[in-house]
Amino acid sequence: MIRLSHLTKKYGAVTAVDDLSFDVREGEVVGLLGPNGAGKTTTMRMVTGFVPPSAGRVRIGGDDLVDHPIRAKRKIGYLPEQPPLHPEMTVRRYLAFVAALKDVPAARTHAAVALALERARISDVADRRIGVLSKGYRQRVGLAQAIVHEPPVLVLDEPTSSLDPQQRSDVRQLILDLKGRHTIILSTHILPEVSDVADRVVIISRGRMMAVDTPANLAGRLRARASVRLEIGARAGGEIVTPEQVRQALAALPGVRDVRTHPGADGTIDARIDCAPGTDLRGAAAAAVTGRGWLLLGLSGEALSLEEVFLALTREERGGGA
Amino acid sequence: MRHALVIARRELESYFVSPIAYAVMTVFTFVSGLFFSNMLVHYVRRAALADAQIAQFGRSDLELDVPTVVLAEFFQNEAFLLMLAVPLLTMGLVADERRKGTIELLMTSPVRGVEIAGGKFLGALALLALILLPVVPMFAFMGAGGSWEGGVVASGLLGLLLLGGAQIAIGLFVSSLCENLLVAAVGTYGLIVTLQFIDTTGGGGSIWVRLLGAMSFYARHVNSTRGVVAVADVVYFASWITMALFLAQRSIEALRYKRS
Repeated sequence: MIRLSHLTKKYGAVTAVDDLSFDVREGEVVGLLGPNGAGKTTTMRMVTGFVPPSAGRVRIGGDDLVDHPIRAKRKIGYLPEQPPLHPEMTVRRYLAFVAALKDVPAARTHAAVALALERARISDVADRRIGVLSKGYRQRVGLAQAIVHEPPVLVLDEPTSSLDPQQRSDVRQLILDLKGRHTIILSTHILPEVSDVADRVVIISRGRMMAVDTPANLAGRLRARASVRLEIGARAGGEIVTPEQVRQALAALPGVRDVRTHPGADGTIDARIDCAPGTDLRGAAAAAVTGRGWLLLGLSGEALSLEEVFLALTREERGGGA
Repeated sequence: MRHALVIARRELESYFVSPIAYAVMTVFTFVSGLFFSNMLVHYVRRAALADAQIAQFGRSDLELDVPTVVLAEFFQNEAFLLMLAVPLLTMGLVADERRKGTIELLMTSPVRGVEIAGGKFLGALALLALILLPVVPMFAFMGAGGSWEGGVVASGLLGLLLLGGAQIAIGLFVSSLCENLLVAAVGTYGLIVTLQFIDTTGGGGSIWVRLLGAMSFYARHVNSTRGVVAVADVVYFASWITMALFLAQRSIEALRYKRS
């Protein structure tokens, strides 16, 4: 349904998107995952025909965006990162305006708007001005304008990124409801955002494709790199604890892959343990520290940040290629 | 074409919830009324004086046709007011869409650049027509005096719409170049004030001075205030509108290549 082939965008010397190729099958939901500045928004803008590619092609249901822009654009519903709303209009008028722009016949506009209001669950604010709505509602109005002409293809750029957790789960639920009705590309910089929505995830970094996989497999890789972070007092009784002592003590624990320590602020030592897959070292690490009479000031288990997964993935791919 | 009307309608609706448009409309109508009544009073007094002189001496140097003089002067004043008002109405046409991000909606819809430029132009022109509407009842005062001069009123209003249309098209183009509303307004002032008064440039009768003189908005507009609709003037303003809309359309399309 959506085919990107060798898509490239250059701004002067900067290559924002570099030779990106993938297909999205009809009815499929694909998540585009990458850190900020990875080229997600530029990719979305090329897929929707807002930004012309420097090289490569985008086909929407067989229509090339450059050769047949009008035909291709009719098939796309697009929610940009900043929803393109006119704050002075009422929700209903705004949706009717978008429907007319997207060539919904005048006779069907009323029904199309009513359906979009209902699907985005904003019927209750239909006659209020967009400018007075909360951020979560505005995002849903943005979603409603993307679906008002019932396009086969939906492109959603960071649909949940600027929302609070409750609004986030609401919007995610809406997207789940849309699944099956549309072929969807959505972008995000947080993996859990796509894990229950997307059938496949494309990871990009610095404009290049790093990996394509199902969310389950990617989450597996992510969990495999969990880590524990500790903060330890540099003085225990009269004794001074050195970062090296801490490193040795923690490295001796079973399941530890790597330990890094460095002096923190205000006489503390920060330690970070990378763990083997499936192990939870928080308890053991705490015991190891307190058992030596050291002061445990902080402890947190955390998944590696996405950036670190990217780094790891890039390393893997280089290693795999050699 | 349907898209252009859809965009024009939205533009017009938005004007009616915008404080700028209301402020411009109010001030425009108020100052127009002020000009009109001052001129009417001034020339009616002069005409009365002329009548008295004729009664006394049988002739007068002050004799004049009040409706014709008042209308000509009034429409020239309105042209001046338009010059002040239009940049405030056009500054946001594209610049505001860029600021709000709604330009992305227009450019990812199955809509052509020419429909975007044309729709915005029509929306602003419709507002201008509405702003001019309240001045029509003023002429009724003269109608009550017995001479309505319908032909002059019609040509005067047409002249203002043509002049205003050219100013709007230029303002639309400038707005598409600027991200900042004030910069767009100032740039438009620069262009249309220059064009309005370019015939006052230099002296003597060289070909260049005469050419610039023929290019000025003032020189082309002034005929319409005297009840003359010249084909050359209509073509002149239509050419400005066409050219500026073409530039605006190209400039809007080129926004796709800007990094934002």
